[in-house]
Amino acid sequence: MSRLKKAALLIASGTLLLLVFMYDVVRLTVELGDGGIALLREAMVVAAMFCIYAFMREQARKGIGAAIKEIGRLLMFLVSSVLVAAIVGVLPGLGFSEGTDQALPQNSVTAFFSLAVSVVVGVASILSLLTVKELVYHKRKRGTRRNFLTYLVLLFATAAFSLPMFANDLAFLGTTSFVLAVIMIVVNAFRQNWIVYLSRREKIYCIIYSALLFAAFLALSLILSNRTFLQKAMLFFSGPMERFVLLNSMYGAVYFGMSFITTLFHLPTAEAYERKQSELSSLHNLGRLVTQVFDFKDLVNTVTHVTREVSGARSAWLELIRDSPKASVVEVVSANNITAGEIETVMSNPEYSPRQFVIESKRSLMIDEVGVDRRTRHLKGLGLPIASLLSIPLVSHGSLIGVLHATKDIAYGFDQDDSDVLTTLADHVTIAIDNARLIEQSLERERLKQELMVARDMQKRLLPQRFPENPAMEVAAHSEPSLEVGGDYFDFVHLDEKTIGIVVGDVSGKGVSAAFYMAEVKGIFQSLSKMTRSPRELLIWANQTLRENLERKAFISAVYAVFELATSRVVLARAGHCPMVLVSDGMNRLIRPNGLGLGLTDGELFERSTEETVLTLKRGDVCLLYTDGITEARNPEGVEFGYDRLVDLAVRIKDLPAVDIQNRILSEIGTYCGKTGPGDDLTLVVVKWHGTKSEG
Amino acid sequence: MSDFKVNHRDGEGFSVLELKGYLDAHTAPDLETTFQKLLTDKKYNIIVNCKDLTYISSAGLGVFMAYIEDVRKNRGDIKLTNMSPKVYNVFDLLGFPVLYEIYRDEHEAANKFRQQSKKG
Repeated sequence: MSRLKKAALLIASGTLLLLVFMYDVVRLTVELGDGGIALLREAMVVAAMFCIYAFMREQARKGIGAAIKEIGRLLMFLVSSVLVAAIVGVLPGLGFSEGTDQALPQNSVTAFFSLAVSVVVGVASILSLLTVKELVYHKRKRGTRRNFLTYLVLLFATAAFSLPMFANDLAFLGTTSFVLAVIMIVVNAFRQNWIVYLSRREKIYCIIYSALLFAAFLALSLILSNRTFLQKAMLFFSGPMERFVLLNSMYGAVYFGMSFITTLFHLPTAEAYERKQSELSSLHNLGRLVTQVFDFKDLVNTVTHVTREVSGARSAWLELIRDSPKASVVEVVSANNITAGEIETVMSNPEYSPRQFVIESKRSLMIDEVGVDRRTRHLKGLGLPIASLLSIPLVSHGSLIGVLHATKDIAYGFDQDDSDVLTTLADHVTIAIDNARLIEQSLERERLKQELMVARDMQKRLLPQRFPENPAMEVAAHSEPSLEVGGDYFDFVHLDEKTIGIVVGDVSGKGVSAAFYMAEVKGIFQSLSKMTRSPRELLIWANQTLRENLERKAFISAVYAVFELATSRVVLARAGHCPMVLVSDGMNRLIRPNGLGLGLTDGELFERSTEETVLTLKRGDVCLLYTDGITEARNPEGVEFGYDRLVDLAVRIKDLPAVDIQNRILSEIGTYCGKTGPGDDLTLVVVKWHGTKSEG
Repeated sequence: MSDFKVNHRDGEGFSVLELKGYLDAHTAPDLETTFQKLLTDKKYNIIVNCKDLTYISSAGLGVFMAYIEDVRKNRGDIKLTNMSPKVYNVFDLLGFPVLYEIYRDEHEAANKFRQQSKKG
């Protein structure tokens, strides 16, 4: 479609120009006058030029390139059209007869070349108008459009007023609009915003281009203002077009003259502007990076990369301060274009390194001449490509977490701007590193939690999986640590077919340390139970073993009851543990033989202080062995559950099966504690005595 | 978490620690620090006044166990006084009365220290 349209436009303009040419040839011999037919010719010229303009706009639709390219194109076109005009001007056999008011071509060849150069120069002029419009409209403000349109109106008015009909009395119209157009040219010449956005390289091109354009437009203006071949040719071809081209040439000269000067002034700031641009985009990237902190290595590498980018540094590295238990350790986590050895050398001043300065003062440090500063003087003559150094602290919540360093191979390489932008960068980096560390920590916490769950399962497996099954005694047991793992322990030992030992123990403290001792206690009980049937003896031996193996402030309380099915007796020894509750018909007792906690003292005193009790059980008796988690469970008011409540409850429910007794006690305690929970490891073993049949 | 306080004051030839509140695994380190300081200052005659001690857990009892040996090695002692029945019960259950001298009040404990120093 577009191609068809363009072809049509070209054909139309060609045809129109051909008609104009034919008219001109006829005019050379025949006086046609200045009447309507001359006006028609002008109309055809305008229409032809309009078709060319429409064609050019169609062409431009392909896309407007960078400003500098547009200017380059205009320059090429303009120079070639001026050259064409110049060549035509010196061609032999061409000439104009000097008339009174208008020069006429000597022959039809001259008429043809007049038409040709006029069209070429006219096209160049249209192109210049289009190009300048693009430039003027860049970053337009209020009035930009108005001013430019005013110029256009005045331009066309000036062109129109040059028609013969406005000659003589109305000539002042042409002069006035011409002067006004020139004023608007000056006004519109200050719209040079586009230059700011050129890169440094483009600005250099721009200086050359605009200088040449200025020269070319000036030349064209001068040519058209003097009685040259081109002026004569254009005046003959079309008076309005001569005005149009002249004004546009003047505009071009003024505008690009201004461009030249403006660019010249902007050249020193070009580098700074360019750097600001890249700083901005780098900081933008880093802002995004703050959210992408799952790969720490990636993060710190980007940091050093961006540091170099924004400051134009030769090398950059990032040091983080890790707080180990003993002292803080400085670790280079990322180095860009510098080796670890070189960093070591830079920081090797034993008295006072740049790193030390930043760590101690929490301020940034700029060393303009590395060879002169006392902190880096030792680098002089080492041949390192480091002449200036900038070190920025990374401060998070008031404490220093690292230092960012950048170096350049020229002295005075860094300025206040660099320091400012790197400080901003350092703030971003600090946040990113904080986040990365938080993520690391939460992953670590998650891992530890998993480990603890494993420990919990392991510990559960240390507790007996199978309970004694015997018609003479019914056993129920439950143990629940308050944390993931705990220090409570219970176990059953089959001493022989008719003798069952039950132990309940409690390691002091809670959590992991208690859990380790609990495992140890299990080993000790399991092995000692095979060596003695006396609870007292077992506890004495256990105390000896544990005394050697426990840390000083740790101890274990335990109660060991040996149930003899044949004789309906229970033999019991207690090592500092909660008394056994015995619920018997009419007699509810706390069985509490003397005894010291395990691991508290040496063998002799323990042996002297620890007793053994023997009880005879009757059918229906209930024994409760438990840890202090039961009796010391607190309600929200802080009152302990206590022995009385436990015994009373046991009396009320003593006729239930052992499992139900256990569940009732546990649920009562749960209710008693309310939302806060028991707060301690909690173990309960219930033994319900049925006795042997022979007993009746 | 829970309130626990150790107040330290010096008498003639002995130091008094007044315990107040809830001594458990969370608060035990406070008491440990105090004991540590007494040992560093070579103050081995220690009276622990439990008048305002409302609760003591096994971890709390552990603190006394941790230091008693060092104290006695230096010919000093830790004597406990003014225990509420409830707190005494916890000490008693574990057999502490066999290991520690427990007195009704500070005065008794102080007298005991004086007698011992005369003998020593």
